[in-house]
Amino acid sequence: MAVDTSAGTTFIRPDGREKVTGAGRYTADLASTGMAHAAFRYADHPHARILRIDTTKARALAGVVTVITQDDLPDVRFGGLVQDRTLFAKDVVRFEGEIVAGVAALTEAAAAEAARMIEVEYEPLPALTDFVAAMDADAPLVHADWASYERDEQMVADGNTISYATIVKGDADAAMAAADVVVKSRYESDASQGVPIEPRAVLAEWRGDQVTIWSSTQVPYAARSGVAQTLQIPEANVRVVVPLLGGGFGAKCDLHFEAQVAALARAARRPVRLVFSREEEFRAIAQRREGIVMEFETGATRDGRLVARRARLVLDKGAYCGEGGFLGQMAAMHACGPYVIDAISVESFLNYSNRQPSGSVRAPTAPQVCWGLEQHMDEVARELGIDPVELRRRTLIEKGAEGPTRQVFDEIGVKQTLERAVEMIGYERDLPEDEAIGVAVGWWPSGPAPSGAYIHLNGDGSGTIVTGAQENGSGAVMAMPAFVAEELGMEPENFTLLYQDTAAANWDMGSCGSQTTFNSGRAILAAATDVRGQLLDAAAAELEVDREDLELAEGRVRVKGSPDRSVSIADIAGAGTIHGKGSGDVPEVPTGDTGGCVGRLGSETFAAPQLITQAAHVKVDRATGVVRVLKVAAAHDSGIILNRMGADGQVTGGVVMGVGLALSEGTVFDDDGRQRNPHLLDYKLVTCSDAPEIEIDWVQIPAENAGPRGSKGVGEPPQVPTAAAIANAVAKVLGRRVRQLPMTPERVWAASAEVAS
Amino acid sequence: MSVPATLHVNGAVYEVELDPHTSLLDAARDVIGLTGSKEGCDDSECGACMMLLDGKPVNSCSYLALQADGRDVTTVEGLAKGDELTPLQRALLEHGGVQCGFCTPGMLISATALLRGNPDPSEEDVRIALSGNLCRCTGYDGIVRAVRSAARSSG
Repeated sequence: MAVDTSAGTTFIRPDGREKVTGAGRYTADLASTGMAHAAFRYADHPHARILRIDTTKARALAGVVTVITQDDLPDVRFGGLVQDRTLFAKDVVRFEGEIVAGVAALTEAAAAEAARMIEVEYEPLPALTDFVAAMDADAPLVHADWASYERDEQMVADGNTISYATIVKGDADAAMAAADVVVKSRYESDASQGVPIEPRAVLAEWRGDQVTIWSSTQVPYAARSGVAQTLQIPEANVRVVVPLLGGGFGAKCDLHFEAQVAALARAARRPVRLVFSREEEFRAIAQRREGIVMEFETGATRDGRLVARRARLVLDKGAYCGEGGFLGQMAAMHACGPYVIDAISVESFLNYSNRQPSGSVRAPTAPQVCWGLEQHMDEVARELGIDPVELRRRTLIEKGAEGPTRQVFDEIGVKQTLERAVEMIGYERDLPEDEAIGVAVGWWPSGPAPSGAYIHLNGDGSGTIVTGAQENGSGAVMAMPAFVAEELGMEPENFTLLYQDTAAANWDMGSCGSQTTFNSGRAILAAATDVRGQLLDAAAAELEVDREDLELAEGRVRVKGSPDRSVSIADIAGAGTIHGKGSGDVPEVPTGDTGGCVGRLGSETFAAPQLITQAAHVKVDRATGVVRVLKVAAAHDSGIILNRMGADGQVTGGVVMGVGLALSEGTVFDDDGRQRNPHLLDYKLVTCSDAPEIEIDWVQIPAENAGPRGSKGVGEPPQVPTAAAIANAVAKVLGRRVRQLPMTPERVWAASAEVAS
Repeated sequence: MSVPATLHVNGAVYEVELDPHTSLLDAARDVIGLTGSKEGCDDSECGACMMLLDGKPVNSCSYLALQADGRDVTTVEGLAKGDELTPLQRALLEHGGVQCGFCTPGMLISATALLRGNPDPSEEDVRIALSGNLCRCTGYDGIVRAVRSAARSSG
């Protein structure tokens, strides 16, 4: 089963025509009769106690329909592993994007003006903006009374440390002491952003006690449960619909503004629409990539065996937990990497600060930690006098090897990705003195989760696929009609998709965790198998043959070897009711020896791990510090690839995001925790003329205990090792390491100048 | 204070009343009801709002609607002829140049303007012409290949 994009066939995504003609509707394109516009009043301080909110003047402004605060809502805290936030600030504001009040007005201008006119009196509190100093004994507490919050028992709740996680294997101290060579490194990554080109939008409309919410979310079911929880209404009364989604990259995960807009619409007795500006998209969403301070220490034998790894990571959680409570443990796994290491002791601290909350952005924590670890691995190679690629050949995991928590791996292709990337980039060739090639390896888990799907066959033989899957742009959902058609001997054009509507389909995790083909695809194929069985039963009765003697092809059920004895699928569907459902069996998460690990939240072993090697060819201008990435060779093991065009598109997109992360994308916070570059003018994405040539290859090994047809996830790994490969190439040119991410011209120049002086 | 204006968009004529500060983008989206052009930044940084004004691409978020009074405006909705997609629209789909689609309207406008002035652009020509249009999904690869392929098929 695969979407065939070779051999002269072309895969045109079903939502393609509406996207190229401008007919397609995104959330901000929707309007409803009588609709009012929402605006938020944000915190005026990064950390302050609210003494008084007076909405009198704002309410009196012409065109204002309603103004609400937390006092108008149920007293409910929400969040993921720690329930630490309210929809509107209650008593205390903890970062600059915290929402204090909401306005609905007949025009956007009136809404914005009314939000400004709300009077808020504060008592400023000391702002904690240094997430490492957050662990000092005298640090101000971001959540002074959070012992009273509901939380997962694995979350430590110690001072400002929200989670403490360790990965422990053997006795790392003893192994380190016995090593031939010990190398220590320190790296630090700045915060960065997902930056979907579509800013957030939400439209909410009530009918009686039921609300329909159109939202630019990656996770409509999580949004639904969040609305139900915070407004204290049944999930059955909440319908979340996602129109076309203009990208997400994790930034549109979690409950985000759906509940505030629904509350405004209920108070206004009108539909209410919120459309974010680009600045709000930077400041107010609770999903940025976290800053991390990383210390690595590796002990090795002279011949390149990794005998010990110690690491200490400190991550910036920002003001609230959201869905990102797992980040610390995930980062700890990436500090180990896909290597065979005899003994490990990694500890990871996830700390609150008075800054924008961090959360899942494409392979959360992995690109930054990989950037640090893979530079550290090159430093180990240098100390040993072994070529960096050769060191990786000797130390990468393979079938039967033990991971950081003694997970034993099935057949995996990480060593093959290394060889392919090195071959594609031409690793051994001579280059001008201002150019070099760097190599980096990374990994990322697939995410087994439940999903469910229905397939209805209509009386004319057309079909409707009903799925909870969410299309973020990747095309993962768009490929589903082709898979179903193949299973049923029909054509992709015979099927339409009913998706991105919580009232239509079963719960699905959403467009996150590289899970759509892996889980939603499994459910859809199970539903297709159900339909197939029903068609075979009906045809067997009609044709009076055993079902084993039948096949499905060309829109008919026919007798094998006697194609003239057949019945059309349309006739069967028209004569009865054919509807299938399926979920499929969720792949099991592999076991390991995790007894010595603290803060276990599910990342301690990696299901169906995706493995990646990327090699980057760069050119460095030492005088200006400007780095130009000429080419990236990307070799990936994502199991069997089911949709080559879609998968390639994930790699080209992920690599270019990785180039941005490497060289230009960093959120700059001032000493008060405010963002200083919340615009595209000074938060620089990679443009078309800066994007490198990208060559892709897939090492296709059927994965066991994985997604349909031996597939794994695809979408997140492409960004994991890109910045690391670039960093290793830059270091080769400079003879020095750039130890802060992003590696801006200023930082590269400073590293270069250090050598010159 | 609204003032009258005549907007010629995609070959149709619209007599409208506009506040003088209304952007061409807001006039198209909110007044005329053509929502194909997108707002990604309101700052001329992302290019999602691009339209052709007398054949030249402009960031319509930063262009006053009244400046377009009486002039020829083309939005993404005006590119296809009826149901027939342009070679550029087809190529974008065939080469995987469309993922989330939010940058697509602006990309199509920039690329259309490029091909009208330069029917056989080099890869560098294409990359420079599209450098005012940010895409976060595709890494630009499929878009660049699509534009060059469309140039060849029309040439």
